[in-house]
Amino acid sequence: MPQKALPMFDQDGDRAQPFDHARLLDILARADADRLAALAEDVLPSLGPVEVVQSRTGLVMLPMRDTAQGTDFHLGEVLVAEAHIRATGTEGYGMVVGRDLNRAMAMAVVDAAASLGQTPQIRAFLHREAAEQAAADTARLREVEATRVDMETF
Amino acid sequence: MAYVATRGGARAIDQSERLYRAELGPIDAARVDEIRRALPMLIDRVMGEASLYEPDLAALALAQSGGDIYEAVLLLRAWRTTQPRLTIAEPVLQDQLFTHRRISAAFKDITGGQILGPSLDYAHRLLATDVLQGQPYVPAPVEPAATPAPARQPSLAAWQKVQGLVADPARADVAPGDIPDLTREPLLFPAQRAHTLQSLARADTGGMLALGYAAMRGYGNAHPTVNELRLAEAEVRVCHPRGTVFSAGRVKVSQAEVTAKGKSGLLELGFCATLGWNEVKVISGATLDLNAPGAAKGSPVEEEFVLYHTEPVEASGFCIHFKLPHYVTFQSSLDALRGAKQTTAPHQPEKVPA
Repeated sequence: MPQKALPMFDQDGDRAQPFDHARLLDILARADADRLAALAEDVLPSLGPVEVVQSRTGLVMLPMRDTAQGTDFHLGEVLVAEAHIRATGTEGYGMVVGRDLNRAMAMAVVDAAASLGQTPQIRAFLHREAAEQAAADTARLREVEATRVDMETF
Repeated sequence: MAYVATRGGARAIDQSERLYRAELGPIDAARVDEIRRALPMLIDRVMGEASLYEPDLAALALAQSGGDIYEAVLLLRAWRTTQPRLTIAEPVLQDQLFTHRRISAAFKDITGGQILGPSLDYAHRLLATDVLQGQPYVPAPVEPAATPAPARQPSLAAWQKVQGLVADPARADVAPGDIPDLTREPLLFPAQRAHTLQSLARADTGGMLALGYAAMRGYGNAHPTVNELRLAEAEVRVCHPRGTVFSAGRVKVSQAEVTAKGKSGLLELGFCATLGWNEVKVISGATLDLNAPGAAKGSPVEEEFVLYHTEPVEASGFCIHFKLPHYVTFQSSLDALRGAKQTTAPHQPEKVPA
């Protein structure tokens, strides 16, 4: 497949294509809380009756692989907020680092709505958030790059 | 040793706690927020030792304890037990880290380059006393490079293994649920490596520095050089009910490898990582990991010595428990002392006036 020229910060290529599930969840988990909540409010009616299976905080144990001997070990636990909902014919799930239950619930609602069809509104949201997240990373990495040592040996 | 019930201290205890808290004053969300924003290094240290990543809670614990790190860590370790374990994330891999700082003191020309990131290593340590005269200190802004650094950096250790500089022991994949977990099982010796590394990740920074420094000064077997030091963010990769693996967000992690020439003719590596950014801790921890094999029983770099004495809650708790009433224990020591004096008295007249 020929490589297309991508817009500067948008790594999601063709705007007509739906986002794959992993990418969608990555973007939602990092999305701006207020804009995510607003989108969830908008798409909630499309789900009909919703059953909340889970809305809670809890711990995720984070393992890491040691580079000396390749041993996986537990680095420590991360507090997360989790939401799991069921609607007619689908389910939605949200998990975000931190303790913001509303953010996790909004993520679950959008995940459920997107599973029934990535509407133009949802896709536009995902494109905007993905672009902002990529821009934030790029801005940080330009600062990091400024600290690269340009070593000259005498 | 014996215990005895006493009464009469209730009012004193109550007022004592009030006196401590009154000196700290009211705690509100603004104070907690200010602590979190102003003291990220302290927040990281507390989260690492508490083994619980949540900056707001760490800031709250520091606010409540007035900055007493051991009290803050205890508060967080205790609070953690109120939360259910939801899942175990996918293992974090070094070359997948979103890297902010990555340096090697051993190899000048590492693939990916030397990236200093945020650091005071080469800074003048000057106190900005003008601030106290009413002149705010405003840091100079970073001048960003035209192009971004790569988000991910290759693993130096992996390159060293390919080059045959470092032993590459065979490893078996372990399902995340089967990784040994110190929060669920006791630390036994000789410790499994997963327990050792988890214990170092949770250990007391100061205690680890003391023992690591002892090893560096010569009370160990190997003099360390920093092979690779990294400050980064790790994705917390979890599983959706439909099976999709995704990132629930990023957390700050630090990791260090130190190296020394081993008897085998290869370079040996010591490793340590922790939640949060804490360079002293991971360099000390990696030094202790490098020095532990073959260390003599009771030496400051021996595994059992290191791991037992750097557990912050146990160590600080044991230390401060000696303030609590030991009247009966001490009384029995006094009785024994007096008894000994009486038995020896007829044979040896007392020379020192009572």
